[in-house]
Amino acid sequence: MGGVSWGGPVRWAAAVGVGLWRSAVLVASTCLLAVVAVPVGWAGSALAYSWSAGTTAALPLRALAVFGETLLVALWVGVAVWTVHPFTSRPLAGAARRCAARWLGLELAVEYRRARPVTRMATGFWWDGQEYHRSEREARRRAAVHARFHDPQLHGDGVWMLAAAVTVLPVAALPLLGLGFGAALLPGRPAAGAALVLAGLAAAPFAWRVLGPVGRRLLGPVASTRLGWRVAELEGIRADLTQTQAAELERIERGLHDGAQARLVALGMSVGAAEHLVDRDPEAAKRLLAEARATSAGALAELRALVRGINPPVLVERGLVDAVRALALDAAVETEVVSEVPSRPERPVEAALYFSVAELLANAAKHAHAHLVRIELSYANRVLTATVSDDGIGGAAASAGSGLSGVERRAAAFGGRLEIDSPAGGPTRITVAVPCELS
Amino acid sequence: MRIVVAEDLFLLREGMVRLVEAYGHQVVAAVDNGPAALEALLAHRPDVAVVDVRLPPAFSDEGLRAALTARQRFPGLPVLILSQHVEQLYARELLADGHGGVGYQLKDRVLDAAQFMDAVQRVADGGTALDPTVVAKLLGRPARADPLAALTDRERAVLALMAEGLSNAAIATRLFLSEGSVSKYTTALFAKLGLADDQDTNRRVRAVLAYLDAGRQEG
Repeated sequence: MGGVSWGGPVRWAAAVGVGLWRSAVLVASTCLLAVVAVPVGWAGSALAYSWSAGTTAALPLRALAVFGETLLVALWVGVAVWTVHPFTSRPLAGAARRCAARWLGLELAVEYRRARPVTRMATGFWWDGQEYHRSEREARRRAAVHARFHDPQLHGDGVWMLAAAVTVLPVAALPLLGLGFGAALLPGRPAAGAALVLAGLAAAPFAWRVLGPVGRRLLGPVASTRLGWRVAELEGIRADLTQTQAAELERIERGLHDGAQARLVALGMSVGAAEHLVDRDPEAAKRLLAEARATSAGALAELRALVRGINPPVLVERGLVDAVRALALDAAVETEVVSEVPSRPERPVEAALYFSVAELLANAAKHAHAHLVRIELSYANRVLTATVSDDGIGGAAASAGSGLSGVERRAAAFGGRLEIDSPAGGPTRITVAVPCELS
Repeated sequence: MRIVVAEDLFLLREGMVRLVEAYGHQVVAAVDNGPAALEALLAHRPDVAVVDVRLPPAFSDEGLRAALTARQRFPGLPVLILSQHVEQLYARELLADGHGGVGYQLKDRVLDAAQFMDAVQRVADGGTALDPTVVAKLLGRPARADPLAALTDRERAVLALMAEGLSNAAIATRLFLSEGSVSKYTTALFAKLGLADDQDTNRRVRAVLAYLDAGRQEG
């Protein structure tokens, strides 16, 4: 192994130094429960077992006494841990989270319960959400205490502290113990001491990494928080859907009112006038009737356009793939359609995907100035995917109020998602994926 | 002529029957659903059939499928497809076999009886009668490197009207040209599309097909 560069050893030394520091931080932030539980258990068992020591009762009776004393010690340890936990778990788990974020890039967002607002009742008492109080200050204090100590996330942090005390703590302590015992042994037994020191140094760069797997499981948000987030997300989607639906109805109403309905009125008037004129001036009546026919054709054309926007006829008649093909034929840019969808998906999903593709295709032509668009439809692992890629100028983003955010909402309504890969300068590749069953 | 009518709306069906009878043709069958339409097409082998795209029982594209199936059995069986909407996709499927005798029109066109019967007649004669809306969509396509790019504007206009199914005389009237110059344009565009001397009608259909194929290569 000739030509060893100095970079290796230096980097190794740095890793050892950083590892030792991180191990020390982890030990400090996870040792509290052990520090509390071990002395209490120790002193407690010394005291409790002394009561039955030296008795000469029958064996079963002695065994029963020892069992009872053990239970008592466990209770003392539990009480000690339970006393320490509400005050310390949150800051210590927070410290571990910050370490995980800084060292491992592990972002573990959590949410703690906030104090409820207090309200003054007609009786003059203050209600904190749980009980009545005489003063606002007292109510606020109780609300804060309640939020602080009746918090599922706090108890989740407690679980982390317990688990970390038996997993992270012993592993992270290894290098430090090796170093400490090794140094203590060095004067008396140099060989064993040196071996321990070396082992401690060798373990230092790796020991702290135990934070990753344990933290990922236990430092994240508790189930109730995750459910809360999901509910908030679903509420957002529902609000969006309601809004979209209302806007759609309004559009249809306006289309009918300003378009077909107005034309039918005009038609009726033309026919009425013609009826009036037919005896006196047949030529004028004929002209009016021709006008009426033109008006009816206009009304039909408007209804057709409206229907296409509500539920495209090809989609009804042929399903998603042919509807997208028809869309591609009518597009303003060259468009290629590739499909690997074996059969028709559920109707609402089909419509959502159709309108998404229509929007993406229109964007490619209008905003990206593309010359060639490629639409791929595929179905795998119960997910229906539409990918629209173009050779345009790129830079697409789902900013608020844009067509893309509309596509995103449409997909989200079915539990799907939108992925945008559109660097400035292009090319753009946008994927809409919606989970569904094929019929 | 012996005509089959397939249309599910009672009023429209009866109206069409009365219309074609008023023009002196015979309606051999007037049906209101897909399977019956196919049966009538195969049993009667009419001189021309007028078929709605969307028919019961499933209200999808049964009419179109019945027409395509019948034309597979009897190539060139004249069919005029009616629809509330026109799609290039369907026009292409109808014309794909290259036999002619195909029409594809918006239902609105029935309002103009003379024009509608003219379309029926053209289809019965083995020509094409595409709705101007479809043709406009085809014309609206961006220019590309295809055989059509070589055509002049005038030749494209002539081709468009040809796709609608008009004769040289009718094209001349529409474009305010003499019939002689129209036939000069058609000869030129046939040459540019590489269509050898052939029966005229067939060549006209093939010119329209070349038109559609130009769309398909990029579609």
